[in-house]
Amino acid sequence: MQAKIRDLIITNLLAIVLGIVSSGIMLLFLGENPVSAFTILITSVVRDVYTFADIFVKATPLMFTALSFAFTYKANLYNIGAQGQFYIGAIIAVASSLYLQDILPGWLALLITLILTLLGSGLWGGFIGFVKARYNSNEFLISMMSTYVALAIMNYLLRTFLMETKAEYPQTDALANSVWLPRIIPGTRLHVGFILALLSCIGVWVLLYKTPLGYRIRAVGYNARAAKMSGIDAKKLYILAFCISGALAGAAGFTEVNGVQHMLVQGFNPDIGAAGIGIAILANGNPIGIIFASILFGALKVGGTIMGQMSAIPSSIIELMQGFVMVFVILAYFVRSWLENNREKRKLQKAVV
Amino acid sequence: MVNLLSRTIMMGTPLLFGALAEVIAERAGTMVTAIEGIFLIGAWAGFVGSFLSGSLTIGFLTAILSGILVAALYGWICIYLKQHQVVTGTAINILAVGLCAFLYRVIFGVPITPLTVNPLPTIPIPLLSKIPIIGEILFEQNILTYIIYLLAPLAYFLLYKTSLGLTVRSAGENPEAVDVAGINVYLVRFLTVLLAGAMGGVAGAFYSIGFLGMFATNIIGGRGWIAFAICFLGNWNPKGAVAGTLAFGFAEAIAIYMQSIGANSFFPNELFIAIPYIMTIVLTISRKSFNVPAKLGIPYVKENY
Amino acid sequence: METAFFELRGISKYFAKVVANKDVSFSIRRGEVLALLGENGAGKSTVMKILYGLYRADEGQIFKDGKEVKIQSPKDAMKLGISMIQQHFSLVPAHTVTENIILGNVGGVIDQKLYQEEIKKLAGVYGFNVNPNDYVRDLEVGVQQKVEILKALYQKASLLIMDEPTAVLTPQEAQNLMEFIRNFAAQGNAVIFITHKLKEVMSVADRIIVMRAGKVCGDVKRSETNEVELSKLMIGKDLEQVRRDELKAKPAQKPRLIIEKVTLEEQTGVPALKNISLAVGQGEILGIAGVSGNGQQELCEIICGAQFPSSGRILLDGEDITNKDIRARIEAGIGYVPADRSRDGMVMEMSIAENMLLKSSFDKKWQNRGFIDQRKLNAYTQEQIKEYSIKTPSTEAMVRGLSGGNQQKVILAREVDNGEKVIIFDQPTRGLDLGAVNHIHKVILKERAKGKSIVLVSTELSEIFALSDKIAVLYKGEIQGIFEPAELTTEKIGLLMAGFKIGEVREDAS
Repeated sequence: MQAKIRDLIITNLLAIVLGIVSSGIMLLFLGENPVSAFTILITSVVRDVYTFADIFVKATPLMFTALSFAFTYKANLYNIGAQGQFYIGAIIAVASSLYLQDILPGWLALLITLILTLLGSGLWGGFIGFVKARYNSNEFLISMMSTYVALAIMNYLLRTFLMETKAEYPQTDALANSVWLPRIIPGTRLHVGFILALLSCIGVWVLLYKTPLGYRIRAVGYNARAAKMSGIDAKKLYILAFCISGALAGAAGFTEVNGVQHMLVQGFNPDIGAAGIGIAILANGNPIGIIFASILFGALKVGGTIMGQMSAIPSSIIELMQGFVMVFVILAYFVRSWLENNREKRKLQKAVV
Repeated sequence: MVNLLSRTIMMGTPLLFGALAEVIAERAGTMVTAIEGIFLIGAWAGFVGSFLSGSLTIGFLTAILSGILVAALYGWICIYLKQHQVVTGTAINILAVGLCAFLYRVIFGVPITPLTVNPLPTIPIPLLSKIPIIGEILFEQNILTYIIYLLAPLAYFLLYKTSLGLTVRSAGENPEAVDVAGINVYLVRFLTVLLAGAMGGVAGAFYSIGFLGMFATNIIGGRGWIAFAICFLGNWNPKGAVAGTLAFGFAEAIAIYMQSIGANSFFPNELFIAIPYIMTIVLTISRKSFNVPAKLGIPYVKENY
Repeated sequence: METAFFELRGISKYFAKVVANKDVSFSIRRGEVLALLGENGAGKSTVMKILYGLYRADEGQIFKDGKEVKIQSPKDAMKLGISMIQQHFSLVPAHTVTENIILGNVGGVIDQKLYQEEIKKLAGVYGFNVNPNDYVRDLEVGVQQKVEILKALYQKASLLIMDEPTAVLTPQEAQNLMEFIRNFAAQGNAVIFITHKLKEVMSVADRIIVMRAGKVCGDVKRSETNEVELSKLMIGKDLEQVRRDELKAKPAQKPRLIIEKVTLEEQTGVPALKNISLAVGQGEILGIAGVSGNGQQELCEIICGAQFPSSGRILLDGEDITNKDIRARIEAGIGYVPADRSRDGMVMEMSIAENMLLKSSFDKKWQNRGFIDQRKLNAYTQEQIKEYSIKTPSTEAMVRGLSGGNQQKVILAREVDNGEKVIIFDQPTRGLDLGAVNHIHKVILKERAKGKSIVLVSTELSEIFALSDKIAVLYKGEIQGIFEPAELTTEKIGLLMAGFKIGEVREDAS
């Protein structure tokens, strides 16, 4: 067991390092010195409190989208539509906030907005679970396609009903201060959404591993047939899992709109769905692991952006890095099972000879 | 109307390339979930190749080569290392976005005006293109369109009428039978994935240099997934792929047509953009798929201990 | 001495979790039928897969006619004239007989007509009744096996390896197969067949290789041995057999589980079960005999609630439970040990404790303020591990890491407690070694003594005869009759299993 945990940590760290080194090699094509580039990357994120806190700001929505993927993944379902569920959440959050900010006290408006966001994005996600359960439709395809539909809806609303009063750009009016999520550390952008995300990670972990419901979800995920033969209604769980998954992704929309952007802009955060999947994979689907993996991705994002501003290095280096890290993490899965097999085999050969 | 149908055929070209690529690979048991990334890399490599060399042919060759490279990485991880296909595909798709954006920048810097190449010309076929209506729809297309509509029946013939096709199909139905027959299952699957990579590369390049003549990182915008969906909806059969492609090509052509006649004053533009995606959702729900390769998506593990 | 046709020398093979073969050596001559005898897990299949090139040996050599050969893949083996029929057939169900036979054996464009003719002719030579145009998925198992044999013959094999070929056949079909084997060998070919059934060995083999724990522990001529000696070699020690007559108590007559005229129609409209009526009393074991695939699985599933009958009723202690779902039936006290444990009975990636919870996750007894009561569950699991002597490092160990016998004990422990009134055992001992089989038989008899009603489905006739109070024979979803064990002989039950009706049986069997 110990050897397994050691393998897990070593291979994953190695995967991250290799991912960063590979993208460093790519930097050579630009004629940039990777060492100095990475020095900038590391020193820049710790240069002041504001920047450092921003790591956690960036990690917040990633935790939600990663949880979203990981949750259905435990039920052996693929929700790769977190991006779309995030958009739906963002739309509802901004619409609800704009409507309620004038008629309700801030905390109540925020609370209602959160509930509406979770409900709306949960339903949007739950639809996928419903057609999976009812018609046995391919949830992978439908969740993928639903993202493009959500994007179209968002773009449409941003140039019609939700468009700013100036009617100049496809974006909404800014939210009133009263419906901003409170800051945790003054002088930074870190808001209570981060705590919400942390609690969600812990909550999902407890739900999955400590409650009968989570147990049933995992049982269905590992072996749907055995679960069915044990009286567990997989279809109900499919719908539920997708509702929760959608709501988690939608929560990212809420924290981004009310916590960071304070408005909704066209084309915003277009890659957090995919990054969430990457993080979930890096964390092996474990909600607690997702906390750390999200912070890593958050740091890459913050550092990469600053690097883009301070040098000639394009910020697309972040996506490159994320992509490389993910590929190496998948290779690490293989290396681990290979190491494990070899260990067993060696033990055996020794025992026999 | 004629214009619309002609456009349907044309817009269907890359989708059919992609869908056929999926049909072949999935018949042998591997879902190429990296298809979106392969399309994107193909689009990028096609553009870079043709821009730098000034030749579209070289552009398409680079696209094929890079499609194969990405597919090889995907196939190696999924077939030989037996890792999860959905997960691996997602990782490669993200990597593809990063690579394309980054390398475009490496090669071209930040150009002030968008760089362009001349897209594929239409080649009217002598005599045939003179047939009224049909000629204009079918025989005034570009070279790739002709090629893919010839490749589709060829793919059908190869899959269903030859021993090679029998082997490929058996690898997706019961790889053990193929193994016991002394054929390397891994190799069969790997080669079909490479072929899918080559075809996906062409499909991607069609978007950049086939008719737009430029490249942007959002140029594919889920078309790879639509090709993936067409393969599912067409029941893993080249015939179904052609039918599905025409339906989607038509949807896309209508979207462009509606925008061009200014229908967006009545209907939102976004509705037309979303039509292919909504269509996929509706069809996926309403249609029972059958004839699924029995071992689709399941890595072949030989020593079961 | 003539040179051996094929010879294996010092073959060893290590898998990740087990030693499959250690220093295995033996040979086979032309015209010989060789039986490879051993318990499940003795390494018989592995060594044959090495000979056929499916696995690569870690050590050792293979010789043909005295010359060393390298067999890297089945292609190499085929070139040497070796063909192997796997225990689980390697046919493509969605393809036709012809397509299955020519797979890998022809090139280029497929001339359907030509190959169909060839196969028809080949089938004719051996008297096989096989239609080359049929889809394999529509064929019965016995016919599928003939397709496999035709495939080998089509490749012009001279050494035919068959892995447990009679497991899926009726006794009569098995007899036909044995005849084919003898004929085929008589033409100068050789046959190796893998089995754990002593009777078959004695009826057809010329020579017997006995394997135990991956090693060869006996190489004897049939004429110089007997079943008792072979079984000792195979098991390595004498084993006390569970005997039915240890239990004298006459079963109580009060029926507990009643199945009334149950018919189950498949989606295709073909009935999987036809008008079945059965009754099981308290403290009674009802044995269900039959060749697998004749409705056993469906019968179990309508009792446990996984499928609902199209017509008919199911009563438990007089209460109609026909429309109750699985969960309700679990709560009513019906336990089920499924035939395919890894598919239907457990979650391989979960711990033993978690698997104990599988059927009772809704039960309040495992909950503590809405959370799983881990401590209570672990204590219970620990108890079960002790009682059933399950070999495992801890309650947290993943079930995947356990041996087949220990996995089966986990299910057994759970279902025996779940099934307060009725327990269904579907092939409870399939694939297990004799020690585990014995243990499981004892458990079944113990539960019977507690007054539970037991449905025992098995294709092993010895098991049925050893344990049952009553025996029902299932053929194509119909009950051929219900008998006292004393009324039946092996031959008679064989004919019933092959579909003969009771009247015909009396004529034929007497």
